Amino acid sequence: MTWFGRFRRRAALDRDLDRELQDHLERRTQALIAAGLTPAQADRQARIESGGAEQVKETVRDVRGTRWAHDLVQDVRYGARSLGKSPGLVIAALLSMGLGIGANAAIFSLVDALLLRALPVERPGELVQLEGGSWTNPIWEAVRRHTAGRFAGSLAWGEERLDLSNGGEADPIDALMVSGSFFETLGVRPAIGRLLADADDRRGGGPDGPTAVISERFWERRFGRDPNISGRGLSINGIAFTIVGVVPARFLGPTVGKTFDVAAPIGTIDLVRPGGPQSQLDGRWTWWLNIMLRRQPGQSIEAATAALRGVQPQIRLESLPGDGPPKAVEGFLSGPLTLEPASTGLSELRRHYREPLIALAGIVGLVLLIACANVANLLLARAASRRHELAARLALGASHRRLVRQLLTESLLLAVPGAIAGLAVAVWGSRFLVAQIGRTDDPVALALPLDWRLLGFLAALSIVTAIGFGVVPAWRARRLDAADAVSHASHGRVTRRGAVSGPLVIGQIALSLLLVVAAGLFGRTFSALATRDIGLDPDDLHVAFIDIGKVAPDQRGRVYDELQQAALTIPGVRAAATSMIGPLSGMGWNTRVEIAGEAPRAGRDAMTFMNAVTPGWFATYGIRLIAGRDVGPGDRSGPPVAVANEAFARRFFGAASPIGRRVRLESGPGEMAEVEIVGLVADAAYRGVREEFQPTLFRPLSPEVEPPPFTNLSVRTTPGGAQGVLPALTRAIRGVDPTLSIRYQSMTSRMRDQLTEVRTIALLSGFFGALALLLAAIGLYGVTSYGVNERRREIGIRMTLGAGRGAAERFVLGRVARLVVIGVAIGLAASLALSPIVQTMLYQLQPRDPATMAGAAGMLTIVGLLAGWLPARRAARIDPAQVLREG
Amino acid sequence: MPILRRSRARRADADDVRSDLPQGTLDLLILKVLAPEPLHGYAIAQRLQQVSRDVVQVQQGTLYPALHRLEQRGYLSASWKASDTGRDAKFYRLTKQGQAQLESGTASWERLAAAIGLILRPAGGRP
Repeated sequence: MTWFGRFRRRAALDRDLDRELQDHLERRTQALIAAGLTPAQADRQARIESGGAEQVKETVRDVRGTRWAHDLVQDVRYGARSLGKSPGLVIAALLSMGLGIGANAAIFSLVDALLLRALPVERPGELVQLEGGSWTNPIWEAVRRHTAGRFAGSLAWGEERLDLSNGGEADPIDALMVSGSFFETLGVRPAIGRLLADADDRRGGGPDGPTAVISERFWERRFGRDPNISGRGLSINGIAFTIVGVVPARFLGPTVGKTFDVAAPIGTIDLVRPGGPQSQLDGRWTWWLNIMLRRQPGQSIEAATAALRGVQPQIRLESLPGDGPPKAVEGFLSGPLTLEPASTGLSELRRHYREPLIALAGIVGLVLLIACANVANLLLARAASRRHELAARLALGASHRRLVRQLLTESLLLAVPGAIAGLAVAVWGSRFLVAQIGRTDDPVALALPLDWRLLGFLAALSIVTAIGFGVVPAWRARRLDAADAVSHASHGRVTRRGAVSGPLVIGQIALSLLLVVAAGLFGRTFSALATRDIGLDPDDLHVAFIDIGKVAPDQRGRVYDELQQAALTIPGVRAAATSMIGPLSGMGWNTRVEIAGEAPRAGRDAMTFMNAVTPGWFATYGIRLIAGRDVGPGDRSGPPVAVANEAFARRFFGAASPIGRRVRLESGPGEMAEVEIVGLVADAAYRGVREEFQPTLFRPLSPEVEPPPFTNLSVRTTPGGAQGVLPALTRAIRGVDPTLSIRYQSMTSRMRDQLTEVRTIALLSGFFGALALLLAAIGLYGVTSYGVNERRREIGIRMTLGAGRGAAERFVLGRVARLVVIGVAIGLAASLALSPIVQTMLYQLQPRDPATMAGAAGMLTIVGLLAGWLPARRAARIDPAQVLREG
Repeated sequence: MPILRRSRARRADADDVRSDLPQGTLDLLILKVLAPEPLHGYAIAQRLQQVSRDVVQVQQGTLYPALHRLEQRGYLSASWKASDTGRDAKFYRLTKQGQAQLESGTASWERLAAAIGLILRPAGGRP
């Protein structure tokens, strides 16, 4: 019979054993009678010889090896029944542990994905990147040539947003323009077909023409996982590419937080983005590639950097721009090149979220502590009320070990479902977080496999907590003896107990205060930013980002005007204008300024942001014209003019009016052009909602110097009129030129995107703050109501002796107040000490903001007293007569 | 654990019976007396005592755990049958596995006994 069979058929086996031993006894008795004993003597003798039927049975049962399992079943049944009697405790404990574990696992999986995890490539530790942002293609080609042999490999890539449509509303894809060595050097293997190789990375395409590989997600989305994908065509920016393979989903690209749809060789960039001398392939001032090298086995970072610096003169010589101002040429690549570890890839997202994530990790860590304290507290309160039960069981012969096991089982009954709840929260929470931090036009792609080690650790932590505190009563019960069962606890007599749960509650209150302060600081930062006057009216304002790369540069001036005119003819459009830079798009253009008749300034002080706009742009954005005039239709050909904003006027002219002043701007490498300021406008946000208003100079939009291959057409519609307007706008834009491709974004969604980080952290800290408050309230309530029950007799007697109901209430509330005050004081001290950590994440707020601190302290005090007041009221309703009868 | 403590205590009691039986020997003896025919527990105890001329006296607290252990291991099978006295008794029968175990157990016991004999016997006593 198998173990499981023995386990299941215990009763039958026991009956069988009974019969067998009975039979043995009878046979022995018969034998003894036959040997001459009287039946009574024989029976007695046989029983003595047997050594006790029960003991024999026990030994045989031990042989079966199923005893522990039966005990476990018994413990579980009993534990479940006894927990079922306090559903409140169960819910509170599960909630605490589930959220505590889940939130930590979710945040940690994000921290891990974004900050810690190595790229899913071969030997990521060997990867190093060329420090200093982006590089030109000539530099990359020189690096590739001169590092060959000195390194185990080199690769480069640039990120581009390309378009699958042929004009009209864009069908944007995220493309990686990669060197032929990219996949091979990283060690990424194809899911299907082949990946790109050096042969593909030729100008205009390799032997198979322009080739591309696609990501597994794109393969699924676009081609329904067509197994015969290799060889199919794909039109990118109007150029026919051949798909040669699929990149497996585990490789999301070298940039953490982003993914790509298509990867094409760098050599094909001029096909999709034709661009003359400053093209992405040939432009010696066109910085767009990231460069990574693979170290040789055993080569240290220092040795690798030294090897690279050894060939730096050759690299510089081969990539040096012939044109450009001498000063810039002289400084070109003159600083020593440096390599930095790149095993975790690159990430813009990482830069943005490093601080918020670390702050969040701290917050959820505190939540877990509070949750553990809560579980401990609840179990302690419960255990205290079971003293009698434990004593009784001891009296009936249970061993201490058996009691410990019973309590352990009950703790596990709480902890295991708690950990499972945590798992669910973790899965859901990390997805929610990733969705939160994405932007409308740039969703975040992160591989978020659950970290089982971490989850295991957290589950273990909470299980240990539950067990640790669950077993305390058994540990205490070691001093109980049978006498206690009858004398002591039966009257609900006061036993000393507060020693552990008092500090726990104080700790909970202090930790909760920290979280409420954090929630307050982040919440106020968010609301300050969300309600900040950014100087422009974002409602009903839509920006069409238009790719005009296929329009010849000298034709673009005409296109700007025609776009504006076309937009203005659409019913529902109140105002429209084009500009080079779209506000809040994250793009920027800045220039050095010299004031006629002043010595040139240095550094940042000499810089201004720039934009180029068509007439009516300020009106479209609701930016107030303070003095002078807007740019006009005649300014494109007339004498050069500009409109300044207030910040510009303040920086360069102080209090004086800028109208009529002349400034010199760097108009090309080494060239300065003089412009006259003809207007002054109010300040408005330029790149971001968060930054201060930047000095900005607006020039008439004209195609004079190398116009960029894109433009922003902004339209203000009648309130809520976007739905009708945008399709008509698309048609109108295609009417201007059918090759134009368009991407729309509303200004309000841009603002929302800008506030993503701040909103996410405000939301989460607010949620966890509220949770902490709730947990602290539950903890306080539990402890106080237990205290009231415990002191029923004492309170009753006091009342009998003349204390009023108010006095009873005060008596209880006094205890609560003491815990709350101590907790709040500790919490405030901790907040004052810790809040400067988050200084850089706050907006117009000091980390030790007194109002926030006071508000948090006040809120905790109120919640704490409320939680204590409910049991206090119950204390006041104690009937002294009844207490005396019980006593 | 209490259970352990209890059973340990009982094993100590049993030791005075088994003290002369090396580890695992009782199992081998049981298999041996069951080799000719199936027997019930009481008969096994009797048989052991008779055959050993009262040297081996097995108490129930030792015998039954051993029987159940051997049954669990598949060396014995048990069934209730009418006995010679007409009453039903639980008879243990040697299985094929038990037969094999008996043979290998006997062989290794004989090897061991011979080896011990070689050591204990005076050197000159060798034939």
